[in-house]
Amino acid sequence: MPLTEFIVRRLLQLIPTLIFILIVVFVLVRLLPGDPTSAILGDRGTDADIARINRQLGIDQPIWVQFWLFVKSVMSLDFGNSIVLKRPVTELIAQRLPITVALTLLAALISVLLAVPLAFVAALRRDKLADNAIRGAFQVGLSMPVFYLGLILLTVFGARLHWFPVGGYGDTFFDRLYHLILPATTLALSLSAILMRNLRAAIIGVVDAEYVSFARAKGLAPRLILIRHVLRNALISTVTLFGLSIGTLLGGAVITETVFAIPGAGRLMVDSIYGRDYPVVQGLTIALAVLVSVTFLLTDLLQAYLDPRVAR
Amino acid sequence: MKLFSAAALSVAVLLGSTVSALAVERGGVMTYGRYADSLFLDPVLNDANVDIWILTNMYDTLLMPTDDGKGVQPGLASDYKMADDGLSVTLTLRDGIKFSDGSPITPDDVIFSLGRATNPDNGIWGFLISSIASVESPDPKTIVIKLSRPDPAIIPALTVFNTAIMPKAAFEAAAGTTDAEKAEAFSQKPVGSGPFVLDSWDRGATMKLVKNPYYWDMGEDGQPLPYLDGVTFEIIPDDATRILRLQSGEIDGAEFIPFARVAELQAADGINMQLFPSTKVNDIIINVRPQIEGKDNPLSNPLVRQAMNYAANKEAIVQIVTMGVGTPLSSFMSTATPLHSGDGPLFPYDVEKAKALMVEAGYADGFSTSILTLAGNQDDAGIATALQQMWGAIGINLEIKQVDNASRTEQYRGGTFEMRTGGWTDDIADPSEITSYFAYSPTIDALHSGWKSEEVDALFEASQSETDPAKRAEQYARIQEIFNSEGPTVALFETPYPVALSTKVQGFNQIPLGNNIFRAAWLEK
Amino acid sequence: MTALPRIRLTRLPRPLIIGGTILGISLILALFPAAFAPYDPLAFDYGALNQAPSMAHPFGTDNFGRDVLSRIIHAYRVDMQIAIFATVFAFSFGTIIGALVGYVGGRVEALFGRLVDAIITFPFLVLVIAIVSVLGPGLINMYIAVSVVGWVFYARIIAAEIKVQKRLDYADAGRAMGYTHLRIIFRHLLPNAITPAVVYWMTDMALAILLGSSLGYLGLGAQPPAAEWGVQIADGKNFMSTAWWISVFPGFAIILTGLGFSLLGDGLAEVMRARK
Repeated sequence: MPLTEFIVRRLLQLIPTLIFILIVVFVLVRLLPGDPTSAILGDRGTDADIARINRQLGIDQPIWVQFWLFVKSVMSLDFGNSIVLKRPVTELIAQRLPITVALTLLAALISVLLAVPLAFVAALRRDKLADNAIRGAFQVGLSMPVFYLGLILLTVFGARLHWFPVGGYGDTFFDRLYHLILPATTLALSLSAILMRNLRAAIIGVVDAEYVSFARAKGLAPRLILIRHVLRNALISTVTLFGLSIGTLLGGAVITETVFAIPGAGRLMVDSIYGRDYPVVQGLTIALAVLVSVTFLLTDLLQAYLDPRVAR
Repeated sequence: MKLFSAAALSVAVLLGSTVSALAVERGGVMTYGRYADSLFLDPVLNDANVDIWILTNMYDTLLMPTDDGKGVQPGLASDYKMADDGLSVTLTLRDGIKFSDGSPITPDDVIFSLGRATNPDNGIWGFLISSIASVESPDPKTIVIKLSRPDPAIIPALTVFNTAIMPKAAFEAAAGTTDAEKAEAFSQKPVGSGPFVLDSWDRGATMKLVKNPYYWDMGEDGQPLPYLDGVTFEIIPDDATRILRLQSGEIDGAEFIPFARVAELQAADGINMQLFPSTKVNDIIINVRPQIEGKDNPLSNPLVRQAMNYAANKEAIVQIVTMGVGTPLSSFMSTATPLHSGDGPLFPYDVEKAKALMVEAGYADGFSTSILTLAGNQDDAGIATALQQMWGAIGINLEIKQVDNASRTEQYRGGTFEMRTGGWTDDIADPSEITSYFAYSPTIDALHSGWKSEEVDALFEASQSETDPAKRAEQYARIQEIFNSEGPTVALFETPYPVALSTKVQGFNQIPLGNNIFRAAWLEK
Repeated sequence: MTALPRIRLTRLPRPLIIGGTILGISLILALFPAAFAPYDPLAFDYGALNQAPSMAHPFGTDNFGRDVLSRIIHAYRVDMQIAIFATVFAFSFGTIIGALVGYVGGRVEALFGRLVDAIITFPFLVLVIAIVSVLGPGLINMYIAVSVVGWVFYARIIAAEIKVQKRLDYADAGRAMGYTHLRIIFRHLLPNAITPAVVYWMTDMALAILLGSSLGYLGLGAQPPAAEWGVQIADGKNFMSTAWWISVFPGFAIILTGLGFSLLGDGLAEVMRARK
């Protein structure tokens, strides 16, 4: 199948997925106990205040009216205004989502750079000292809660050594990149541990499998075996996992963002859920879903390249 | 400020404030780490402390709270006088006062601003100035506020953020048709009357305020305030990170220091750990309705509530939750609230008495109940965990339910909760606000507890138009006596505002109402 | 799939033995915490708040004066539960669905793909917070939230592997022998395809404990006063500079248990490879 057709088909498949998500998120946020008004006013609002503000916000309307308004706003790519922040949702997404994307990409890059070479070393020196040391180190990285690990990195490399800023988010492009290195490393440590483990197991599996022995028997040079057969085959499941993890990272960087004081989409999402800011949760969920879908598409393309049998 | 400097200084020394005898130095930008960003910076339409506590830096009020938060001093009005019949207030505007765009502040702006604030369609703060019938201006210097009833709280109400003065012309020129739309457009690039004005706002990250070059008040050096060129707020939600940034010198101050870190920062070099007196009270709110969702509610029995009060070891909770920084409450309102009465801690810890009360109430074998706490809030979790242990001793089996704020509020407003943790700070230097929410049942059913005392309701209504301070104090003493002995709460402790500052910072103040005051702050070079 | 009787103990891979031992001890602690904990994990001691490790309290006490060691031991019960219950449904369900989908392919696979996309692209935290808010806080609702999403990961991993395996010669051989599809899937293909899923499962159990700690940080995990390592670390965070022992020792418990799961995963992978 030609590449363009594959991509077009995948993009078309995205439409039902997004419709499904649209409905689920609309229903889900309204199933949450409480409403935006009482979330904002907290303890102080009187019943009269809350009724009046609900009316002003239009959330006292029947649910189907609200859904129709929501669908209309999605059609025009305008997700309405934030109830809490009083700004257009699209503006908020444009401000906050790129930060999370940058954080995730950087974390993905760091984790691949860490995981792939070390997985090879570990697999090929199976059960030797190097293998045990690498696995032990990754295990510690994997087992640290993100908020704890982040705090330790901040204390050591920020406050003590002054190599990196203590959280926050800079002004210029390079300054921002600099600010993102520690949080991205924090995210990357657990991701790379997962990738490393998976890849190591996959490499061992492939090395032990018959077709490598067969290749050896055919007299192919070991180096060529490693690249042509082992890497390709070992990467199949790892690439799947990588794509899935990126998806999780995009939506789940909230704790890292909180610890490092980065104004990303994760924090906006959690704040908006807690604030019952329906339009923001809806808009951000859709935006994240599109992003994650694109990531999966790229993953699948990569997988098809690695193993042409996967994408017929 | 000059008139009050002697008093302010002595108060400041007493309170350990940062007013200094050093010669002030001008210039520089102070960076302040906040735990959360503001939401909507409109004086009237805002809802939350994250807005309220910094708004007074951008918009001045006719009168201003004193540094100790209990009194009133002149603001945009240089003078005020209450009429003898208590039915009008006459204020004199200062000469030559201007907004941050250089346009003059006129009586029209005052009438417009107070009109917005009293409009019942706008925001939730109108109740503080519900006595205002009309605002007039007989001449370009004079404002006359006519009242529908005598209101002893109207003078402090004119220091509250919602009565801040905004520029009528600029506001009305903002895009939009409704007041809410105009407020949204205006708040993007506001013109203000306070010492600072919003310059840029990167939501969730940074908010930059710059000096208002037209500000009216003078500093100690005879030049206009503020001393600082600007204030930058950095949003740093994690407590530990906020402290780290202060320690590494990237910010000059950090709010909401966890109590667990106070002692350590008090001992740290280069850091001035402040505990600003506050009106913050912490308590447990009890649903006292006879039945909750069809089930009989043991908490409706006043004896049970007394037993719970006696069994709660407040001193221990203060140690565990606030590391000794807090003080057990002596009334439902803080000691920093005017007309507070009560000298010792309420219900001194006494398990035997508590057990006897449980027997007397008919619950010798105890019962099971639950408490809603705010998920992720360590103080809440600490309080609930401690109470669970302490009440276990008198047979009460307490289930802790951590929920988010909106879920808690829904159960709270719906009257389906059994207990919840509560926290309160005053917005006005007057006891009427807290009393109206806590004790006066028509407002919100006494903290949505279902508690009602005819006597308290009558006393409160009488006090709302009582112009004799002594009589009003008596009324409040009686209200507190009743509420404290049989009310729907377990009073726990009051806490100061823990703020860590760089030792370079001088003149910064957080008043008991929570407002962060940067107008006289300066940085040592 | 875990029938191992023909393998003698001495020939078991070392990671399996070490990992199994760690987890065996963990399981014993989880089943009988009271037999090993020196103190009541919930008992306050106002006279001993935030005490450094000593003979009386080897891991010190926390801000309530509770013995940290006793809390760590009692937390084994909660955390082993989290590790198992938050993942076992996802693993079993995901594996079965993944195998079927990967084998059948075609329309079914396309439909499955849409479902997977919808579930995975839905931001996980939104779902967890929503489920916990609607159903109420607590671990069981966390298991539900995690399982609703988690199975998809296994299904995708298995489906991808099965697709590769079913094109290999032995699958064709199975078909030629006239075996039923189910027999081919579960007896022939799955044992060869399951290794990455098992390895991931072991990691996932460690991750579940970590997720519990993240949710503890947000107040959505184990409810107080129950001891749980993640909550202990989150609670001890404010004391890192003054009472490090409150958060560091539970951290060691997580690392050790995580190590146990990882080694067990590696060991199982070796055994399964050896059986091929």
